[in-house]
Amino acid sequence: MTDRNDDNLLQAASRLTTDISPERDLWPGIARAMETPQRAWWTPMLAQAAAVVLLVGGSSAVTYIAVKQPAPPVAQIAPELAFEQVSFGTGYELGDEFVKARHALIAELEVELKRLAPTSRAEVAANITVVQDAIYEINAALEQDPNNTLLQQQLLSAYREELTLLRRVGGLTRNIMMRNDI
Amino acid sequence: MAALLTAYSSDYSRDMVNDRSAPAADEAAWIRQAQQADAQAFERLYRLHVGRVYGICLRMTGNVSEAEDCTQDAFIQAWTKLKKFRGDSAFATWLHRIAVNSVLGRMRKSKRERERIQVVADVAPPTLETGDSGELRDLSEAVQRLPQGARHVFVLHAVYGYSHDETGDMLGIASGTSKAQLHRARRLLADQLQEQGFSE
Repeated sequence: MTDRNDDNLLQAASRLTTDISPERDLWPGIARAMETPQRAWWTPMLAQAAAVVLLVGGSSAVTYIAVKQPAPPVAQIAPELAFEQVSFGTGYELGDEFVKARHALIAELEVELKRLAPTSRAEVAANITVVQDAIYEINAALEQDPNNTLLQQQLLSAYREELTLLRRVGGLTRNIMMRNDI
Repeated sequence: MAALLTAYSSDYSRDMVNDRSAPAADEAAWIRQAQQADAQAFERLYRLHVGRVYGICLRMTGNVSEAEDCTQDAFIQAWTKLKKFRGDSAFATWLHRIAVNSVLGRMRKSKRERERIQVVADVAPPTLETGDSGELRDLSEAVQRLPQGARHVFVLHAVYGYSHDETGDMLGIASGTSKAQLHRARRLLADQLQEQGFSE
């Protein structure tokens, strides 16, 4: 196994301690990990890929609908519902102001959807579902990998897409969301 | 060793669990049992090999915390890959290879190693508890000051006795590169130790 030279330095090196006891027992941590089912490495990646596909698909569909459908009369939302610098808070929870504004837009959406033709209404509803599914998928992936920056960015993008969709269909809001809001 | 088997429990004393005298037949049996998902057999293998695995990790990383993480990671990986172990090499060699991969993987991910190297240029590194004494302690500390590539080769080849082919294979470098790194390590160590009266 060895082809070491026998000079003094290498001889001394061969006498260095090779068997060193860790300062603490490492077995309990290993045993815990052994009991935990191994999560396949591709699971978060698959979730990310699914989220990206949903986002891109949803975004494209929204754009298509927006171009195809003449813009309906835009109802201004109450100024107090406008929000800036929303915070998702700990564990990616949405901030109160964000939630209020989002609910207001969704309520407005219900009204606006009724003005659309049934076919268009179904398409818009389907696309909102696509974006909200993406949000759900990304949140699920973040539960597995909370520090994943890509997922955090995708979550932010998904919320942006949702707001863009809501704004295009139902109303107008002023929102400024930044990467560090998460 | 039969007594060890019958007296086995997860909380037996450190003296017992650090028993390094397991005959090859016992180790082979433990490997077979562990391959059948016997966690207790795997713990026996852990107790048998943890000293050398941790030693490799500690001397390669120069950091207690990272060495502990690498050691745990190596044994967790070994557990998941154990069914693939066919005995083509010694179990210890197979395990050490996993440990080296764990160290290299962590170092690739971490900037801490680079920062550590930068720091040691100006500040003496923390003394690692390696169990060496006297001149050997000086040598051990000098090894920690080596640049990463030279240190890894020196540890695997000169300390743990792996050949240049094996060292190169473990580190993902050519055998010739291993030799060159060893030459570099020896030169740097000689320079460091010269003032301390350690003759090459």
